[in-house]
Amino acid sequence: MPDAHADQDWRAWFTEHGARLRLIARQWTRCEADADDVLQEAFVRFWKHQRHLPGNPNALVVTSLRRAALDLLRRGDRRAAREKVVGDDMDTVTWFESEADPRLAALADSLKLLPAEQREVVVLKVWGDLTFEEIGEQLSISPNTAASRWRYAMEALRKHITARTHD
Amino acid sequence: MTDPDHDIEQALASLRPRAPGPAVTAHLAHELDASSSRRGLVIAWSAGLSALAAAFVAAFVFLGGVAETESPNYQLVHVEQSRPDVQFFRPVQMNDGSYARPMRVRWQDTTRWEDTRSNTRLINYRPNDQLTLLPLETN
Repeated sequence: MPDAHADQDWRAWFTEHGARLRLIARQWTRCEADADDVLQEAFVRFWKHQRHLPGNPNALVVTSLRRAALDLLRRGDRRAAREKVVGDDMDTVTWFESEADPRLAALADSLKLLPAEQREVVVLKVWGDLTFEEIGEQLSISPNTAASRWRYAMEALRKHITARTHD
Repeated sequence: MTDPDHDIEQALASLRPRAPGPAVTAHLAHELDASSSRRGLVIAWSAGLSALAAAFVAAFVFLGGVAETESPNYQLVHVEQSRPDVQFFRPVQMNDGSYARPMRVRWQDTTRWEDTRSNTRLINYRPNDQLTLLPLETN
C-alpha cells in the first residue's frame, strides 16, 4: 500500500500536536502518568500501523488514544477501582500550564465541574480539533447528541465563570 | 450575529495543555529511530539483493554472448516426405446442385539437422492433413 504521508516528519508532527493529544489522553485516564502511557502507546500504534493511510491523521490518532485509554482501564480488571480514582483525581487545572490570567485559570478549573460526557466533547472539539460528526463517531453517539452536550457544557461554563467573576 | 459560545471556546483554546513528559518524547524518538533503522536495514538488504541480481544479469548477458559464438551450427542433412495416405469419401451434393467427392490426404515432412562440432542433431517433424473436394461430372 502506498504511503499517503511519505514526506511527513512524524517527530515534528508529534512535537506540534503532542500537548493537545496528551490532554485528550488525560481526560480519559486517572493520572498524569497514565496519560503519558496512553499517549505513548497510542502514537506508536498509529505510527506503526496507520500512518500511511490517506486523510487527516489527527482523527486516527484520537481513535488510537481512546482505544489505548480503554485498554488501560480494562487491564487487570481494575476498571471500577480506576473509575473511582478518576473521579478523585480530576483536578483539571493541572492539565494545563499555569495561567497568570485568573479568568483563564478559573476556566481551566471549571472543566472539572462538567459531567464527564460533556467534558470529553469539549476536549475533543477544542483540543481534538474534531467536528461534531467526528466526535459522534469517536464516542458512538449522534452528531446532534454531541452538539447538545457541547451546548450544555458551554452554558455551564459560562454560568460558572460569571458566578466566580461576581464573587 | 455573534455566537454566545464563541468567547468561551476561544478562551478554552487559549489554555495551554501540558506537554508530554520527557520520557514519552524520548521513548517515541527511540521507537521512530529504531523503525527507521529497521527500514534502513531492509533497504540495505534490498540494495544488496539488487546488486546481486544485477551481477547475475551481467553474467548471464556476458556468458550468453560467449555462448552465442559457440552455439551449434546446424546443417541440413536429411529431408524426407512420407508417402501420402489418401482417403476417399462418399460424394456430396454442393449448394449449386453439382457433386463432389471429399478426399483426405495425410503425410509427414521430416527434416534433420546436424552439428558435427557438438555432435548434436535437430529433427523437425511436421505432420500434414488436408481435406479437398474433387468435382464430379455427372451425365
